[in-house]
Amino acid sequence: MEALLTVNKLGKSFKDKQIISDISFEVRKGEIMAILGPNGAGKSTTIRNIMGIMYPDEGSITFTNSTGKDIPRHKIGYLPEERGLYKNVKVMDILLYLAELKDYPQAKAKQRALDYLKKFDLEGKEKVSVEELSKGMGQKVQFIASILHEPELLILDEPFSGLDPVSQELFKQEIKELAEKGTAILLSSHQMNLVEEMANRLFMIHRGQKVIYGSMEEVKTTYANFKCTIRGINNLEILQTIPEVLRIEQQEDISVLYLEQAVQPTLWLKQLPNELVVHELTMDRVSLHEIFIDIATDKNMLKETGEVYA
Amino acid sequence: MRNTMKVAKWEIKRNLKNKTFLIGLFLTPVLIIGFMLLGSLFGDDPADTEQETTRVFVNDQLGVFPELQESVNQNKLPWDLLQTDLTEKEVAAEAELSENTAYIFIDERAMQEGNVPVYLSEEIPPFFSNELQLLSSPLQTMQMEELGITEKQLAVISKGFHFNEQSPGENINTTSTEEETSLGENPIEDLAPGAFAGFIMLSIVFTGMAIFQSASQEKKDKIAEIILSSLTPAELMQGKIIGYFVLGLIQAVVSITLLFPFLLWKIDLPIIEYIFVPELILLLVIAILGFLLFASLFVGIGATMADITTAGNFQGMVMMLPFLPFIFIGPVISDPTGLMAQIGTYIPFTSPGVLLLRLTIMEEWPWVEIVISLAILIVSVWLAMKLAGKIFKVGILMYGKNATPGEIWKWIRA
Repeated sequence: MEALLTVNKLGKSFKDKQIISDISFEVRKGEIMAILGPNGAGKSTTIRNIMGIMYPDEGSITFTNSTGKDIPRHKIGYLPEERGLYKNVKVMDILLYLAELKDYPQAKAKQRALDYLKKFDLEGKEKVSVEELSKGMGQKVQFIASILHEPELLILDEPFSGLDPVSQELFKQEIKELAEKGTAILLSSHQMNLVEEMANRLFMIHRGQKVIYGSMEEVKTTYANFKCTIRGINNLEILQTIPEVLRIEQQEDISVLYLEQAVQPTLWLKQLPNELVVHELTMDRVSLHEIFIDIATDKNMLKETGEVYA
Repeated sequence: MRNTMKVAKWEIKRNLKNKTFLIGLFLTPVLIIGFMLLGSLFGDDPADTEQETTRVFVNDQLGVFPELQESVNQNKLPWDLLQTDLTEKEVAAEAELSENTAYIFIDERAMQEGNVPVYLSEEIPPFFSNELQLLSSPLQTMQMEELGITEKQLAVISKGFHFNEQSPGENINTTSTEEETSLGENPIEDLAPGAFAGFIMLSIVFTGMAIFQSASQEKKDKIAEIILSSLTPAELMQGKIIGYFVLGLIQAVVSITLLFPFLLWKIDLPIIEYIFVPELILLLVIAILGFLLFASLFVGIGATMADITTAGNFQGMVMMLPFLPFIFIGPVISDPTGLMAQIGTYIPFTSPGVLLLRLTIMEEWPWVEIVISLAILIVSVWLAMKLAGKIFKVGILMYGKNATPGEIWKWIRA
């Protein structure tokens, strides 16, 4: 697949503090590329550098379809993390203004705006003043504004924050559809379950540095080890005798065993001691959510063996 | 440039659709008219006639005293018109002793040369010179009666009259004809273009103060980053300056269209002819430079504030800058060529206001000073725009807190 955006060895520091360093990834046509990381990891800084709102100290940002050094602003849709709309203007006015800034034909923009408002349950709201909208409605209008001009590259920084589950689903469907139609999408989010469902590839960043980069499948097979959850009151000593366990978490009658990467589930189950109390037992792979928390809290279960008592 | 115009158009459209702006747009001229009416209402109040009457002695060699008396009565001048036999030489000494007194000598000189010597004592009301003009019509009538109207005589008549004022302290021995300080034919004619340009400047500078609000609003509404994904900070800033300039002009035009009929009714003079003279072009250039200077300051400072209500001392001080010329009004009026006037002309923040005021009241324009002042102003505007651009670029993306002067200084040096 053709890469629309290539970020190469990006680095940026404020004063003496290095915010991001050596960040390299690409966003391809028709894919959803997720950029993940805890708060303050450098996601928004990376995105702001791409958008030319900040200027990187090191590295380069290349837009494949653009001639010259300028950022092809008209071909990019951007939904920033810190976002809002002018308060005392009508919904349609602000949408048309933002489309006009992107040099998108006004008549076409108007029609598309009406279609999208309808799609997002905001039919008839085009003449309403922005300040009368609820927060969720405002979010929808901002989202519409970012895609109204049919961008080739869509950058969404935390698009789901503050949305109810129904609206989240709506956004998710729309983002997926856009990707299917060929839009390259760079998505930053904390909602791991949504990212897991949507993203084709992901880039995880922590303290300004790359932690994971690859396709969802690769990441899952590489990092998402199996874990075994057992319900029933068991002594920690018994659990510690079980082989191929990286880490144990216990909370009341639930014990979670994080297993080594090479574990064969069926073979491993046969090694469980007979005295183990089991009311319920499940085995599944560690979710993206858990990988995320693991990295964010520096537990580093992927690398080290240890015990954590919850 | 295209993006700049888009922003400008948007700012204009947004404000013209805004009820607050529209109300202000029409309320401003209505308030001005209201205050003028209120002023004249109180002015007509009989209780207010306590104002001092000026004793005016007339040495009448031509027997026009009754006509003059009539003219004074008709115009309700606050004069006590009396006849005197004192000669000009005697009057010189007399005038030094008395207060609020004037001596008018009406003799053959008035008929032949159109010169009427007037001797003034101390503490003459400031409008006395204007009031004197009202005496010209009875004198003119008299002159016309004396002469049969031939072409030659008409030429004499059209010369008009000059009231030669002389204060007792001045050298009285020089003949009045030599020391003529001719008061312009009509003071309003001289003041009109300057007052007009001043009004335009005030309109656009005050509307320009809304840029302040507009720049900080960008942050408060958190839309800055969305807008900046489509254009550069410089384009956004310039768009705002141009947009508010046009809004200021709209304000000025609306005010003037509402005010003109009123002014024409109140002041029975062809004001429009007085205003649109070539000098107006220079005056307007000064006004526009003044606007650009303040607009760039406002837009830069506006971008450093999270909210207009949380403006710190530093920001508040910048907001007060347009009022700085008011300090110079007194000194400049009393001495338009004096040191204070010159200082005011060379300080960029005060130069538009001071220059407009000086050019309005001065007969001879100090071209060298004007050129130097314009050069300073143009360089200042360029510098202010450059600095504002740097401040705006960083400030507009800083949410939630006001920038300190230290931070602003750092951005400028970056």
